[in-house]
Amino acid sequence: MAKTDRQDIPSPIGENSPRIDAREKVTGAAIYADDIQFGNSLLHARIKRSPHPHALIKKIDTTKASALPGVKAVVTGEDFPGYIGLYLRDRYIFCRGRVRYVGDPVAGVAAISEEIAEKALELIEVEYEILEPVLDPEFGASPKAPLLHPDLGQYAVVNFIFPQAGTNISNHFKIRKGDVDSAWEKCAAIIERKYRIPQIQHVPIEPHVATAKVDETGEITLWVSSQSPFAQRNLIAESMGISQSKVRVIAPYVGGGFGSKAGVSMEALVVAIATKVKGHPVKLLLTREEEFYTAFVRQGLVAYFKMGCDENGRLLAMENKFYWDGGAYTEYGVNITRASGYSSSGPYEVPNVRTDSYCVYTNHPVTGPMRGFGMPEMHAGLEQCIDELALKIGMDAVEFRKLNCLKTGSTLVTGSKMHATGLSDCIKKTAEAINWGTKAPPSAPNKRRGKGLAIMWKAPAMPPNAGSSAWVELAEDGTVNVGVGGQELGQGVFTVMAQMAAGALGVPYESVRIATPVDTRYSPYEWQTVASRLTWSMGNAVANAAKDAKRQILDTVAEAWEETPEDLNIVNGVVISYKSEREIPLKNLVVYGLPKPGDQGWRGGPVVGRGKFMPAYVTGLDPETGQGERAVVHYTTGAQAVELEVDLDTGRIEIIKGVSTFDVGKAINPEMVKAQMEGGFVQGMSSALFEILQLKDGFVRNPSFVDYRIATSADTPRELQAYIVEVPQDDGPWGARGIGEHSMVPTIPAIANAIYDAVGVRLEGPPFTAEKVYLAMLDAGIVK
Amino acid sequence: MAFHKINVTINDDLEQVVVPSNMTLMHMLRESLALTGTKNGCSAGECGACTVLLNGEPVNSCMVLAVECDGAKIVTVEGLAGKKQLDPIQEAIVQEGGVQCGFCTPGILISSHALLKRNPNPSEDEIREALVGNLCRCTGYVRIIESVKVAARMQSVTT
Amino acid sequence: MTMNTHPSLPEFEYVQPATLAEACEFLASHAVEARPFLGGTDVFVRMRDGFLTPQFLVDVKNLKGLNDLHFDPKAGLTLGAAVNMNRVIASPEVKAYYPLLAEACRSVASYPLRTRATIVGNICNASPAGDTIGACLTLDGVLHIHGINGPRQESMASFFLGPGKTTLKLGDVVTAIHFPIPPKGCVGMYLKLGRNQLSDLSIVGVTALGYPDSNCKSGYRFRLALASVAPVPLVPTQAETYLANHSITPESVHEAARLSTDACSPIDDVRGSARYRKQMARNLSAKALAEVWKKLN
Repeated sequence: MAKTDRQDIPSPIGENSPRIDAREKVTGAAIYADDIQFGNSLLHARIKRSPHPHALIKKIDTTKASALPGVKAVVTGEDFPGYIGLYLRDRYIFCRGRVRYVGDPVAGVAAISEEIAEKALELIEVEYEILEPVLDPEFGASPKAPLLHPDLGQYAVVNFIFPQAGTNISNHFKIRKGDVDSAWEKCAAIIERKYRIPQIQHVPIEPHVATAKVDETGEITLWVSSQSPFAQRNLIAESMGISQSKVRVIAPYVGGGFGSKAGVSMEALVVAIATKVKGHPVKLLLTREEEFYTAFVRQGLVAYFKMGCDENGRLLAMENKFYWDGGAYTEYGVNITRASGYSSSGPYEVPNVRTDSYCVYTNHPVTGPMRGFGMPEMHAGLEQCIDELALKIGMDAVEFRKLNCLKTGSTLVTGSKMHATGLSDCIKKTAEAINWGTKAPPSAPNKRRGKGLAIMWKAPAMPPNAGSSAWVELAEDGTVNVGVGGQELGQGVFTVMAQMAAGALGVPYESVRIATPVDTRYSPYEWQTVASRLTWSMGNAVANAAKDAKRQILDTVAEAWEETPEDLNIVNGVVISYKSEREIPLKNLVVYGLPKPGDQGWRGGPVVGRGKFMPAYVTGLDPETGQGERAVVHYTTGAQAVELEVDLDTGRIEIIKGVSTFDVGKAINPEMVKAQMEGGFVQGMSSALFEILQLKDGFVRNPSFVDYRIATSADTPRELQAYIVEVPQDDGPWGARGIGEHSMVPTIPAIANAIYDAVGVRLEGPPFTAEKVYLAMLDAGIVK
Repeated sequence: MAFHKINVTINDDLEQVVVPSNMTLMHMLRESLALTGTKNGCSAGECGACTVLLNGEPVNSCMVLAVECDGAKIVTVEGLAGKKQLDPIQEAIVQEGGVQCGFCTPGILISSHALLKRNPNPSEDEIREALVGNLCRCTGYVRIIESVKVAARMQSVTT
Repeated sequence: MTMNTHPSLPEFEYVQPATLAEACEFLASHAVEARPFLGGTDVFVRMRDGFLTPQFLVDVKNLKGLNDLHFDPKAGLTLGAAVNMNRVIASPEVKAYYPLLAEACRSVASYPLRTRATIVGNICNASPAGDTIGACLTLDGVLHIHGINGPRQESMASFFLGPGKTTLKLGDVVTAIHFPIPPKGCVGMYLKLGRNQLSDLSIVGVTALGYPDSNCKSGYRFRLALASVAPVPLVPTQAETYLANHSITPESVHEAARLSTDACSPIDDVRGSARYRKQMARNLSAKALAEVWKKLN
């Protein structure tokens, strides 16, 4: 439904329909992947992992492990020669010849119990030749660094990623726009800064879990906590050299994803093991500790920014260099480098931009997509520089942003034009809500108060042709079953899809169900549940499917009533004629059809509507300049502001108030949109104040909740406001675009700017722990 | 390793279970009894997803041995609701939008239910403190805290 | 770091002795392979991490008397070893006479964990970060211990030998902790700095207790205990002596805070650096002393 008539927004679009999954989730009835019961044939898998950040595997001896009673299979990389990966196929399922991070899977065991599987791991003997590790992305990108992927030049790769063979650079994205070099002399103020953003982890409360079974014919079934059942089907089949039709992925509710359960990671391990014990389901459940160092983590970033403006505060030039710490494998992460490159101006119109964004292999944990996909990391530095530049040129930071931010029709960093956007409204609303320009007194003499604001943009980062499909089927009682392949991660997408189906078809929300769990054998195709793309993309597919069903129904009724479909409509589950004022409930016709008069046969029949959506307009970008017609489908924009206090005795930060405003095009369910803004704010706040994977010599020193702290109920701000701006998306369902990830993009810089406002210190990067803030104040002489 | 036969009342049903020494209450609920509403988030007493009531008090069931529960009364999320209606905290958290992915929800419900039992009218600070051991990564806690307030009001109306 | 944490608890035998004597005997005769446990909140975690590998876990929490919470207006408070922290917090007698003890308990982890966690367990773990240890030290707690040679008592002051190391001998079971009636007019406070607002382990924790004492030159006696700044829970006696001998002023409080910092020998770890810990030992000591002083007047 590319074009919609927004004058006529049907119920329940834009209404706060209750969550479709809430009741089963509060009674304990909702099924997650670890809850599925497999009976006594279930085997348990454990993984032997590399204790070294970088080493060659000289020898693996599994004889003793295989001989242990209760062990059913022991596998190593020798058994699985295929590469796997989303954009760049750079990893084996189990290591072959070389390990590249502490935790790299070297061997796998299936046994009748977890205890026996663990004992078997201890019996596997691995000889390593230890190699020098790469522990810093900037060093890794240099010619001095040891080469981690000597075969980089041979890896299969999509056409918009540019690995540099013979280096550790797995992608180099460039922007060359205007003339940066000669722009500097026209600048009245220039800021140059370096930031370091640490690796963090997604921390879904549900750890990764997957169970695989391979039958006698080699057909694979995978029950998994997954954001990407279809991508997993595809990638696993490709790696194993089998047909996609031989892989079936069943994906129940996901207990939090945030990107960590996208693409394919530990799922391939358990499938590989299962191929050796046909007929047995094999389960692998990551421990929380494994979750921290073997599941995807967010990329680290070393970022250099240089930006300048004229004497009126107009941005003239930016020169950015990003070294992304991609970890041992960057099959998914390479596209973060690209996304941060084509968004590297931030949400500003800048005539001259030079960007080099490098994805660098290191011997750190494997990085992958995480809520924001590079944008929180990039904006963390960029939005602090904007504050500093505004200060330097003598402008208020909000006024500076209003002046320079993207407006409808602005020229983007990639050369294309900005679509309709409400970013200016977001800034205005956010500044108002935080009472920008006023300063309240601190709550105690040993505290200092400050305010900060930051803005953002983010596009869905995905292949140009990521597609969605859906079906809408009606039952005898007129209820509607909606088939989708996108996943409910908590973001509320099933509720929103039900609303859209109800709205497009003309039935009450309560009569719509979503066909769950997602099962690649029965559910329609969906690329992945990532990139905040489902409300928009899958929403279009569902609306199209509902319209298709509606057309079928109206055609049947029109024929029966000898009217034209244009005079008919479906309202509240009843077909009505505006012309004849006749009506008939859906349940009377959607399965059995309608009888022809005089017992002369039937017309109609079971109604199944189908719909799809795939953007057809995304073009490539020039590999040397990053310029092109249309790099992405759209950008969601927004702003956040915080008010905080710094405790001078300890350096501890307390967030007093947070405000978020985002332009979501159209809020299909406003309360759930606000819930995304709140949850994203707190996750962003948590990353700003607490979170860091403490890496030392390639080891994660804090792989548990004891020492990897996330925000708790006691840390959340007492006042959290969320505002919605609605400037419709031209190809969004009822104008909608995504919001899930965006809500944590500007939080780090908003907090950093507020800390500066409060006490006048800036730090190289988050987390802004009490210790870092205090010691910075101490070094600056602010405290003694 | 020795196995122990224990008698335990779970959600008002008396169960007899044979458990090995090292089995936690969480594993017994999930694996021996298929009461999978109780979630395994960390197995270390840190995330709170496995919170259940043990003799009326909330515990991290991953930090209790099953064998220690001989003769005990356990309530899990499956046992919170009455025959016909949800517990006020279940009702409130649905109404206030305090559920997203739902994985922390069982633990949040048990902790909140226990709070409201020992303190029918908790302040915001008391709610925050009572839930500090139940990590939630989706909601930012705002709507969960609000749900507890609403449940307290619901309870005071009905009692 | 703990790279190979077990998915669940490794194998062991669960032993539930019927009597204290039986427990002591079992523990003494299985010197290396047995461990007593109460709530298990620490021992289970360390077993999963592979740091502890006991063959036998001896459940002493149901032994006679171990669940008693007894208060006598003359003799003071006796907490059975198995009395959990939530019971301590909820006890009206503790609230009235030992609010510092309740405050310290409330700072530990979360409510569900405190249903299992005990003060005696916290003490026996002998972590320098133990949140309730400072209160027990400043309130002059005395441990009641049952060993193979029968019962004995040990003062908290001499109990800790190093991280995880105490004066407990093989076969010992701590059965209770006893607190005398606190000095008249005493005021206590526990200042805990964690990474989160609540529930975290301490980066630094400072317990301060003050009361009027005519034997002191200043007229007041202050007790201090610092967590996470030394191999054992630290009592900075020089700071205490200084305040006993100098009239209490903002300057003397600062000097005492400085002395207490001097006594610290913190390390760098994942929770904080030694440099920061020193700073915080000073600031929090000063703050705790000042707050206590304010309430004393």
